[in-house]
Amino acid sequence: MDMEAQNFLWKGAIPLQIHLHESKVTTLPSPPPALILAPRLGYLPLLASHLKPYFSSALPPGVDTIWFEYKGLPLKWYIPTGVLFDLLCAEAERPWNLTVHFRGYPGNILIPCEGEDSIKWSFINSLKEAAYIINGNCKNVMNMSQPDQVELWRSVLHGNFEAYQRVSSKLKLGAVGEIDDSGQVKQGRVPVRLYVWNVSEDFDDLEDAPPIDSWDKVSYINRPVEIQGEGRCFTLYDAVKILLPDYFVDKSLGTAESLTVGRDDYGQRISSKDASDDKKAKEEVETLCDDHVKASYEYEEPKIKLVRIQGIEPKLEIPFSWVANNLMHPEHFLHICVYLKL
Amino acid sequence: MSTTESPTAANKVVIHLRATGDAPILKQAKFKIPVTDKFAKVIVFLRRQLHRDTLFVYVNSAFSPNPDELVMDLYNNFGFDGKLVVNYACSMAWG
Repeated sequence: MDMEAQNFLWKGAIPLQIHLHESKVTTLPSPPPALILAPRLGYLPLLASHLKPYFSSALPPGVDTIWFEYKGLPLKWYIPTGVLFDLLCAEAERPWNLTVHFRGYPGNILIPCEGEDSIKWSFINSLKEAAYIINGNCKNVMNMSQPDQVELWRSVLHGNFEAYQRVSSKLKLGAVGEIDDSGQVKQGRVPVRLYVWNVSEDFDDLEDAPPIDSWDKVSYINRPVEIQGEGRCFTLYDAVKILLPDYFVDKSLGTAESLTVGRDDYGQRISSKDASDDKKAKEEVETLCDDHVKASYEYEEPKIKLVRIQGIEPKLEIPFSWVANNLMHPEHFLHICVYLKL
Repeated sequence: MSTTESPTAANKVVIHLRATGDAPILKQAKFKIPVTDKFAKVIVFLRRQLHRDTLFVYVNSAFSPNPDELVMDLYNNFGFDGKLVVNYACSMAWG
């Protein structure tokens, strides 16, 4: 597989300008903000080793627990830094202005973080979860030798792509959608973590987008995508529609039946009566569509304002297998940010 | 089509609790939980039942999900027959 894209990703970084929260400052004048280049694939609390010495003279004595905030929103530490940036900065802000806190951990919003150990634990468990989705078990990860596990984590910690490749290839998590020796498209399930921001008010320009001021506005969805290799090219758009069955009526794949099964499986606010009404409504729409292509707009399909992966806004018609193989994170999850106008 | 019979039709799934290692066995080994809840709810329930702050909670004896993951997603990805198997341990069991 061509490694060029992944090579770029591993070098990707976001310039941060980190301000110490006012209430924590014990010296005057308050210290100037810290400028730091944060790896996209890294995690914010891992910056503590740089930030703590930088701000130490301004901090009162006591026990520190580091956490970050952007425009009043405490940042979830287990989400990779690049994903937070893609999700929370509609229009890229460079440098990205964050506020760091060393006290007053908001335990009601963030899950506890005990430094690097918590992040390593979260990373390894995400990797196991991804392996489970891909292979139906995570024996390969569990049976990893201790030195391999340490090397894998260190490769992520230090952004060392060659070391990562060396160890992760032993996990046999493979690539999807490629043509194998027998000429068949290799099918498979792609682990996806999806962050959906449901925008209530429309905007033309991303810079006019309102800030995300609460995690309640973001749906965190974990659903694998099955690459359907036969017939035609399975695109990123196909994948987004499968990931969001509650929002999209799929005309090409969807018989009304598969639609209702999907909805009931996800158990969301749809009684069987509603579903059958829905089915009827959808059949009407499909008839309309046959007559008149523009009718599909009348079906109030939500508008995808943005699909952003690894800082890129790919065209939705590109093959999903390329996206999965090249833009995944080291824990084998593909993190996708979506803005939806309902 | 028997979608109305499906376990998630009631918007709830059954969590099967299994003690691992030296963790105490709970009298109530099963409970129902709304699919729209986060996995954090399961962890909080176990901590309360066991009166422990440190607890390691796994799915299918395999991995520890992120507390923010929805029970619905975990059930769809890793559950079967209307239930999700959750293992708990007082010390780290599966890394």
